[in-house]
Amino acid sequence: MKFSVSTKRLAVRYLLLLFFTPILSAAEIPVIAAASNLKFALEEITTAFHQETRKSLRISYSSSGNLTRQIQQGGPFELFLSANAHYVEQLYQQHKTLDRGQVFALGRLALLTPIDSSLKLDVQLNGLKQALQSRQLQRIAIANPKHAPFGIAAREALQKQQLWHAILPHLILGENVAQATQFASSGAAQVGLVSYSLALAPALKNRVRYLLIPSSLHQPLQQTAVLLNNAGDTANLFFHYLQQEKARGILARHGYTLP
Amino acid sequence: MDWQALALSVKLSFVTLLFLLPIGILLGRWLAYRQFWGKSLLQTLLALPLVLPPTVLGYYLLVAFSPNQGLGLWLVNTFGTTLIFNFQGLVFASIIFNLPFAIHPMQRAFAAIPREIREAAACCGMRPSLVLWKIELPLAWPGIVSAMVMCFAHTLGEFGIVLMVGGNIPFETQTIAIAIYDRVQSFDDHAAAVMSFSLLLFSMLTISFTYWLSARSERTHD
Amino acid sequence: MTDSAIQITLQQTAPIPLSVQLNCKSGELLALVGPSGSGKTTVLRAIAGLYQAQNAQIICQGETWQNSAQNLFLAPHQRHVGLVFQNYALFPHMTVLKNIQQAITHLPKQQRQAQALELLKKVHLEGLEQRYPKNLSGGQQQRVAVARALARQPKVLLLDEPFSAVDQVTRRKLYRELLALRESLAMPMILVTHDLEESTLLADRIALLHKGEILQTGAPEWVAAHPKSATIARLMDQQNLFTAQVVAHDQENQKTHLRWRGMLIEAAYQAQFPLNKPVCWMIQSANILLHRRDRPSNGNKENPLQGQITEYMESSGLAHLRVQVDKQLDTTITINVPLHVAKRNALGLHEKIGISLLSEGIHLMPYQALRSES
Repeated sequence: MKFSVSTKRLAVRYLLLLFFTPILSAAEIPVIAAASNLKFALEEITTAFHQETRKSLRISYSSSGNLTRQIQQGGPFELFLSANAHYVEQLYQQHKTLDRGQVFALGRLALLTPIDSSLKLDVQLNGLKQALQSRQLQRIAIANPKHAPFGIAAREALQKQQLWHAILPHLILGENVAQATQFASSGAAQVGLVSYSLALAPALKNRVRYLLIPSSLHQPLQQTAVLLNNAGDTANLFFHYLQQEKARGILARHGYTLP
Repeated sequence: MDWQALALSVKLSFVTLLFLLPIGILLGRWLAYRQFWGKSLLQTLLALPLVLPPTVLGYYLLVAFSPNQGLGLWLVNTFGTTLIFNFQGLVFASIIFNLPFAIHPMQRAFAAIPREIREAAACCGMRPSLVLWKIELPLAWPGIVSAMVMCFAHTLGEFGIVLMVGGNIPFETQTIAIAIYDRVQSFDDHAAAVMSFSLLLFSMLTISFTYWLSARSERTHD
Repeated sequence: MTDSAIQITLQQTAPIPLSVQLNCKSGELLALVGPSGSGKTTVLRAIAGLYQAQNAQIICQGETWQNSAQNLFLAPHQRHVGLVFQNYALFPHMTVLKNIQQAITHLPKQQRQAQALELLKKVHLEGLEQRYPKNLSGGQQQRVAVARALARQPKVLLLDEPFSAVDQVTRRKLYRELLALRESLAMPMILVTHDLEESTLLADRIALLHKGEILQTGAPEWVAAHPKSATIARLMDQQNLFTAQVVAHDQENQKTHLRWRGMLIEAAYQAQFPLNKPVCWMIQSANILLHRRDRPSNGNKENPLQGQITEYMESSGLAHLRVQVDKQLDTTITINVPLHVAKRNALGLHEKIGISLLSEGIHLMPYQALRSES
């Protein structure tokens, strides 16, 4: 292969441009770490935020525990929206945050199955008990309790209904509650004990059946927002925006209880 | 189709290639021509990414470059930046992870050049840099291109390391492989399907091209 | 030694043992001969700079290429050597013309092509400039390799078994071309070969190499007729090699008497070999006379032997005979006679003939145990 000298020069210039571009453009838009259950609610809220303030945000979704670890390791986040208060407290003790944070919503659990499933969904989880005993229940998906608050809550609920040990061999753990929801909605697991807000997701409409689980079955899922040490103006603005009326309205529509 | 994620992936692949081309040529050539004490150890180390789970490499990179201590802290103090949760970090991880894909084919390509040809070039009066440029590189070129194509495709498909070391940060570390993962978790099956199929097609094209190249180089070397 | 164009001294014990001292004049063709593994290619590579011997001195046309004592070593590209490799080592991705041009570094770009074409003409390959090596025959590739080596305007031309990869017919053609080319070359030429016949045909002098050591140097025919030891005689493919005992030295008649297999034979006077001690001796076929049945001659009287032909082969106009010398059943002498002589004397298997060993041709060497006698 032979390339003329001018072609080579052009190629070099283009490559240099290619290399430096991502570092320039991405640096301006702040990054928020958000628990995956907040996905659809946050999409609406950030759109509204953008309309009102002309400011943009980038959101990185994962389980709260995973995000906490990333923040501890110096991830470039300016605001953290955790699915419980515990992780925020942990970060506060490690001096990664400006303060102890603010609870802006309460999450709820829901049972979820594919729309054509015959599984009985009830608030006492008796349907599950029956399905287990009749060997109809093979797999149930929850978020991983090790690092996802919704997984912890799911475990608490199952323990309270004396189902935990029976269900253990049938558990499928999602890396975060969104993945657990995807397992259940696709039928890879017959049922999921997951976030109510995700069960309400527009994308899942007509694909799933779901049932809201009483909050008495688990510790409160306090969705906590906290500004991190390097928080800039936009992050600050958004932090407050979350607690205002418009945002709260959106959160309520996505199944969150408001404090 | 998440064009941003695709662009990011392509960018990552190209930048990785930019580094791996000289590294691969130099190391591949050195390993092809020389015997030295410790060569097997070096070759083992260089081949590790082939069998190592990406999470292992990801783990070690996280530990090494965590800005709270050691190397990571030094980087922050000296350059004001880290090698995790950003594009540079992905490039660094990608280079390490692709080393065997770059070096092995290039090493084979250089080793396939009969020693006598290089010696004949020297006897023609060519100093070593000229021998490399005029004789070795043209003859090793199909192997080099094949290595680069494999690295490009391999980088495009990287997942485990990107997730661990990069996080899932849009426009920074959300490559197309991560984007597919992300779409699945957002119940956006359509987008996931489109992106997956595109990558499948691209991978098939890459493999076909690599095979065609190696067949062509066999014919030239008769 | 000062009129030698190239002087080479190599000494080392490991990893390859070498004990070599060579020189070659301008226009002279020196053949490095020896069995495989004797180190000939190593010596050639050392001259080219492709191998660095531990204790070496190589001086070519006034330039010191290597001097271990002064830690001086010039890389191959710093020496002006022309090396023709055994498998030619042509650059496969370049045309014939480009191959040759690579070695023409002393001319500006515009003139290189013309010079390359000149060289192609010299090796009789006009018209093949744009061919690629893989589309050339073995003989053509060899010529391109030679042209490329010469393009370098080398101070010494080195050839590493350059004819081994071609067939017999092509080989003969290439020999003639090399000899013709030689006339116009004013540089020393060193040819490595394991083929004795080739070295005899082409070389002015040969250097016999055995296990890294130069055993003897000299004109090919002379070394064949006067090997310094039985080992050398073997290496020179001398068939008639025997042991005997020195019985007497007759200075007056210029003869040395030997007892061999119970017979007394007379050799030329070689007084350096002690009396009553064993020696090795050899005689070339050219110094053995066949007793012609139709025309007896005076030569028949020297060391006459009676024998029976135990092997008879015809080839290339010669008859190759093995004659079992009567009294000792396990001793055979090899002689070659022109075919017409064999026919005229009705020679054939099992024929009884008489032969004479000419004293002048009986060459004595220090005693060493021979694995088998001819």
